[in-house]
Amino acid sequence: MCRYCVEYGGGTKWYLNPDNYRDELYTSGAHEATVKMLTGVQKNSFEVGAMTIADESSPDLYYSDTLSVAMEQMIGHGGQTVPLEDALKIIDLCKGPFFLMNCACRRYFGKTDVLRCLYLWGIETALKERPWEKDSKILSKEEAKEFEMDCDKKGFLHSIWHAAVDTDGIPPIVMCHCTATDCIPTKFKLSYGVVNAQRKGEYVTEVDLAKCKEGCKEYPACMHRCQFGAMRYSPVERVMYIDPQACFGCGLCRPACPYGAIKLVDRSSYPSLVDNW
Amino acid sequence: MEYTHITPRPVIHVDEEACGNAILCLKCVQACLEAGPNCLGFINTEPPPVGENAPQRLEDIPHRIFSCYMINCNGCGKCVEACPKGALTLEMPEPQLPAVRVQRSDIIFCFTLRDGTRTFPRDD
Repeated sequence: MCRYCVEYGGGTKWYLNPDNYRDELYTSGAHEATVKMLTGVQKNSFEVGAMTIADESSPDLYYSDTLSVAMEQMIGHGGQTVPLEDALKIIDLCKGPFFLMNCACRRYFGKTDVLRCLYLWGIETALKERPWEKDSKILSKEEAKEFEMDCDKKGFLHSIWHAAVDTDGIPPIVMCHCTATDCIPTKFKLSYGVVNAQRKGEYVTEVDLAKCKEGCKEYPACMHRCQFGAMRYSPVERVMYIDPQACFGCGLCRPACPYGAIKLVDRSSYPSLVDNW
Repeated sequence: MEYTHITPRPVIHVDEEACGNAILCLKCVQACLEAGPNCLGFINTEPPPVGENAPQRLEDIPHRIFSCYMINCNGCGKCVEACPKGALTLEMPEPQLPAVRVQRSDIIFCFTLRDGTRTFPRDD
């Protein structure tokens, strides 16, 4: 449990607290400004613009504090990895409808399959200010849930992103589905060491070694699902080992196991992970 | 001593005048994506107008090329080759001594000082 859940969790996780989904939050002050910025014409200048200065802001990768501090101060927008079941709960907490928009991380690097950003709010601004994105879609609650499950199947990472962190709350505004090789904030974290760019999830993966040993043996079916290199295959014991320090708790490896050996446990059950976000 | 090491990485200079509106071409972005590093992207030069003058197609918005995550760049030069207008130049970094995180500022390698003397006698 990091600062978000302590201050805005209301006894649960910050993104599962219904208080953070109040209507008045989205129409007040700093929150509304962030929603407008992230769904309107300034979206790319903000999201992709952070990338254009990344190399200059972080001249030395071994001491990347400059960029880290800059990102900490610019805390108006940040995110956290969530597994599928939490993603579905988030969809349930929102009123809908949902707006499927271009993912800047994929779109502006020449990649295909760009419809991966599910906005929980800000449809009006997006329709008004981004008329060139003709492929955007409006989804109902059921369609959004189907979309989440489809993303999980294909191996896209779920993450929930919030608007400004203010005294009155921390409203979630968008669910992103990207991969560690494309996602701007994930690359920020993995390449430049910016901790808060994309926080790790509230869970961590555990493997039932006895089941795993009886299972795939030589060709582990789960390994290709991990975006973060947190799964290590041992050819001696013929099991998968998890590196809990590298695991983001996204749960993508779980459905890939035909023997049900993988489960997610609370991150707090590992004392060493208390500060590892 | 203040730590001033700069991680060596290639730099791509984009001649924006020669490039023009990048969205109409994007050959370098595609070349970099196919080569693997995916260091090149494109971004709108400024936020487009809202209202009646709002652009209806992405091609109507002026874009420029930028480079990032140049630590992944292996200097293959496919982007420079792909550019039909010769707007890209690839600058490789100067060769550098490896940086090592040690407490003593005069040590550059485990047993060797910057001036070449050994701190630990070994039988070579």
